[in-house]
Amino acid sequence: MSIRKCRQDRETKNESLSGLNRREFLKTAVATGTIATGAGVFLNYAQSIAQQVEVKHGTNRFTFAYISDSHLLDRGREHRFAKSLIKAVKDVNALEPQPDFVLYGGDLAQLGLRDELSLGKDIIAELKPKLYMMVGEHDWYYDMGDVWREFFGKPTYSFNHKGIHFIVLNSVVVEDYWSGPKMAPMERMLFMAQLDNPKGRPFTVGEEQRKWLSDDLSGVEKHIPIVVFSHSPLYKYYKAWNFWADDAEQVQKLLSPFKTVTVIHGHTHQVLTNKIKNIAFHGMMSTAWPWPYAPEGIPKLTVQMDRPDPFNQFDGTGWGIVDTLHDGNVNKTYKLWDRNPMIVSYDKVSTGRELVPGPSY
Amino acid sequence: MKTTHKMFIGLFALLMMYAVSANADNNSATNVSSVIQQSKEQSVQIVTACDGKKKVIVEGYKEGEPMPEHKAREVAKLLTALMDYCEEEITAKIPETEIAIQLSINGDPFISVTAIEELPLVLVHGGKPHTEREKRIWSAELNRMIDTGYKIFHDPTLGTNGISCDMCHPNASNTHPETYPKFQTQTKKAALLRDMINWCIENPQEGKKLSDDDPRMKALEAYIISERTGVILEPGKH
Amino acid sequence: MQRKRSKLTFSTVFIVMLLNLSAGFICSLPSVAFTQSADELYELKLPPYVLEPIIPENNPLTKGKVFLGQKLYFDKRLSADDTVSCATCHDPEKGFADGEIVAIGINGQKGARNSPTTLNTAFFDTQFWDGRVLTLEEQAILPIANPIEMGMPSHDAVVEKISNIAEYKADFKAVFGSDNITIDQIAQAIASFERTLITFNTPFDRFIAGEENAISTSAKRGWELFQGKARCLTCHEFNVSYPFFTDNKFHNIGVAMKDKDFGALARKAAGSDADPSALAHEKAASELGRYLVTKEPKDIGAFKTSGLRDIALTSPYMHDGSEPTLESVIEFYDKGGVPNPNLDGGIRPLNLSEEEKTDLVEFMKALTSNDLPELIKKLNP
Repeated sequence: MSIRKCRQDRETKNESLSGLNRREFLKTAVATGTIATGAGVFLNYAQSIAQQVEVKHGTNRFTFAYISDSHLLDRGREHRFAKSLIKAVKDVNALEPQPDFVLYGGDLAQLGLRDELSLGKDIIAELKPKLYMMVGEHDWYYDMGDVWREFFGKPTYSFNHKGIHFIVLNSVVVEDYWSGPKMAPMERMLFMAQLDNPKGRPFTVGEEQRKWLSDDLSGVEKHIPIVVFSHSPLYKYYKAWNFWADDAEQVQKLLSPFKTVTVIHGHTHQVLTNKIKNIAFHGMMSTAWPWPYAPEGIPKLTVQMDRPDPFNQFDGTGWGIVDTLHDGNVNKTYKLWDRNPMIVSYDKVSTGRELVPGPSY
Repeated sequence: MKTTHKMFIGLFALLMMYAVSANADNNSATNVSSVIQQSKEQSVQIVTACDGKKKVIVEGYKEGEPMPEHKAREVAKLLTALMDYCEEEITAKIPETEIAIQLSINGDPFISVTAIEELPLVLVHGGKPHTEREKRIWSAELNRMIDTGYKIFHDPTLGTNGISCDMCHPNASNTHPETYPKFQTQTKKAALLRDMINWCIENPQEGKKLSDDDPRMKALEAYIISERTGVILEPGKH
Repeated sequence: MQRKRSKLTFSTVFIVMLLNLSAGFICSLPSVAFTQSADELYELKLPPYVLEPIIPENNPLTKGKVFLGQKLYFDKRLSADDTVSCATCHDPEKGFADGEIVAIGINGQKGARNSPTTLNTAFFDTQFWDGRVLTLEEQAILPIANPIEMGMPSHDAVVEKISNIAEYKADFKAVFGSDNITIDQIAQAIASFERTLITFNTPFDRFIAGEENAISTSAKRGWELFQGKARCLTCHEFNVSYPFFTDNKFHNIGVAMKDKDFGALARKAAGSDADPSALAHEKAASELGRYLVTKEPKDIGAFKTSGLRDIALTSPYMHDGSEPTLESVIEFYDKGGVPNPNLDGGIRPLNLSEEEKTDLVEFMKALTSNDLPELIKKLNP
């Protein structure tokens, strides 16, 4: 497509933009203060793609937002990671209309300390929409989730919302490596906190939760769309960095009878898209920092985000929104603070065509 | 390097001659030991390298009997490897059935070596192999430097804000040390790896930069280079 | 000889492989108290990072052998006239050397070379100034049967003499489990004891470990010079894995070239089948050094690089004891050794200032172990 043709397309589509989408965009842009002319054009174009998708898959039922992987340190609200989470909370609160709810995707804390979790709890308490919490390994392995559960309740649960069945898992379960060598809590934590630690253990959902999942799903009719929230990706991407679930196949099998399944996962801090049989997988961005892509195993569907500038803590980081379509499939928007958003529509995921029509900057 | 290469080709050609024409050169076997004499009575071929000091006894093939190509290649590979022993007199046996190669150095009893790749490494320095002690020291010193770098790379105290190098560069990803020197947009000038290490310390990590000869800087470079050695650079993917 | 040398090196590869296994075994022993047993392994206490010495596979370091070796080391009955022990020339009170210019054996006979220290010799590739043997086992028994050292007529004679001492009969039985004492057992026991003579905890060791003020500022400057301008480190190799200040190689620095006609000596020795051990004790032939072993012209007048640990205690210096003090050693190197056709390529005038010379000496003085008094006390109960 020539540049001229491309521009014509955009102009045509901009005319048909729904007022709702435009309002949302403006509100967000004002709230975050990151509006740029070029970005606006691209966002509009991207949203027009979403509109096209709606034709195929039905209109947007509802939208939820996510914030994930904030990795807060016990260094107060002025620390860069805290500032990022606060920024995400403000962005979500500025959305109009408000999303139906917000998912927190895990790794609120960096080292699982009470003060870290407490700081995070205070910040996300400022969110206006209803909040669903999910646990990550950084929240868990200092005290095996004691403080996290005290603050946020059970890590494994399900709920129904507007005809969709949502499941939240603790998918960072690993075999006991700490009792034998009598590790101190922080030692145990650091084993899991270091990504390139060859001594770390692979994540699982685990037998207990798989049993729970099986029971939970037994009461759900197969045509009901399922959305699973999991901190670790529920597929095998790159074991050395624990971008991995050791029992992924078993979990996928439990989900296989359902017509429409979407997994939204954290942990990988990157734009990541995958589809395995009936299940679409979407990674969540981190508010704290982006991980590089692994040297192998990147799913073919993923259009990689180009390398962020480490000078800018808001490059390659952000939050996201998920538009749940009428048929239960989702369009996912990566809200990258100092870049254009990236939209991964279900249409593109299902056809495997190139997901993003241009560069992300 | 070039000479060595030529020598190997020559050697291989020599071997192929043996394999194809299968004409055992009796003159080459002037100094054979009793082991070789004994072997001669059995079904063996003896292949001698150009220096006359390395012999390979190939069991299972009569003198004059052509060897299949894979066998000839194996013999050539072994003889080539044996040339690393320079002045030493080496007799090697490739048994017909066993996997292990039998090796005798300067008339010593045969020892078993599992593969050609496993031949005891004899590096040449001043005409003498390095001692095991030397190799152990070199390995220990090198590994200690790299390990020190690994620890610093994973230690948030290099900066002030709790961020360690590995948080953005697991397994030293996206460091590609082999590409320096290069113009670096962050520093607005040509930079070395150490300049970018210091840039990261000062910027994302909010720390105080290291001097060029700081042992921590050297250790970081050692870790990064060793971790990334052999990793292919894919422009646009880092 | 070249062939023989590499053959031995080759077998070392396998010995080391086995040793690694046994080292692992030592590490994995449970930390419960051992029962008093001669076969119990003796654990060398090494600082972190220092590599274990390579111990011959057939002579594992046991407490029994160390104990017996200590007894033999100090026993003058190993000499012909009961006047000389190992400790005579390798005296704990004198840095495990003797303070003499050259070694003095029975009947006041003088050897041709300076007695080196037995400290830390477990870590060396070769023994004697010319490296004519590779192991402490081989080294330990040679002086016994040397006419101008301990003067026993033969190794059989010393075995017979020891066998007639009831106490030793029992000791050897306990340690080696056999009734017949052999020269190899004597060698193994003495070598085992010598392997325990290791000295760390010098001010310089503490400095390297991070204790900034463990050595004086002059010694610190000396250490910089040692690695740099003074060109010492290349031969007196130091690193944390192997902190013994030797490359285990042989260099002609011209010491042997003081007043001698080497061409003639070398020609004479080249045609000789004489035992290097014997030649090493002939005042003139001895000066050929490593050449006696290899008969390679490049080794004429080359001697083994000494270690420098505890060097301040073992004057005089050089293979012939020709330099009385550390200061004179530095002067010797500063002027570039003694020029000769075979001078090592690394030797050249250093142009050191007086202050720099002092700094180097200060540095060497920081290499004396603070553990030595305790070690000596332990050996002389």
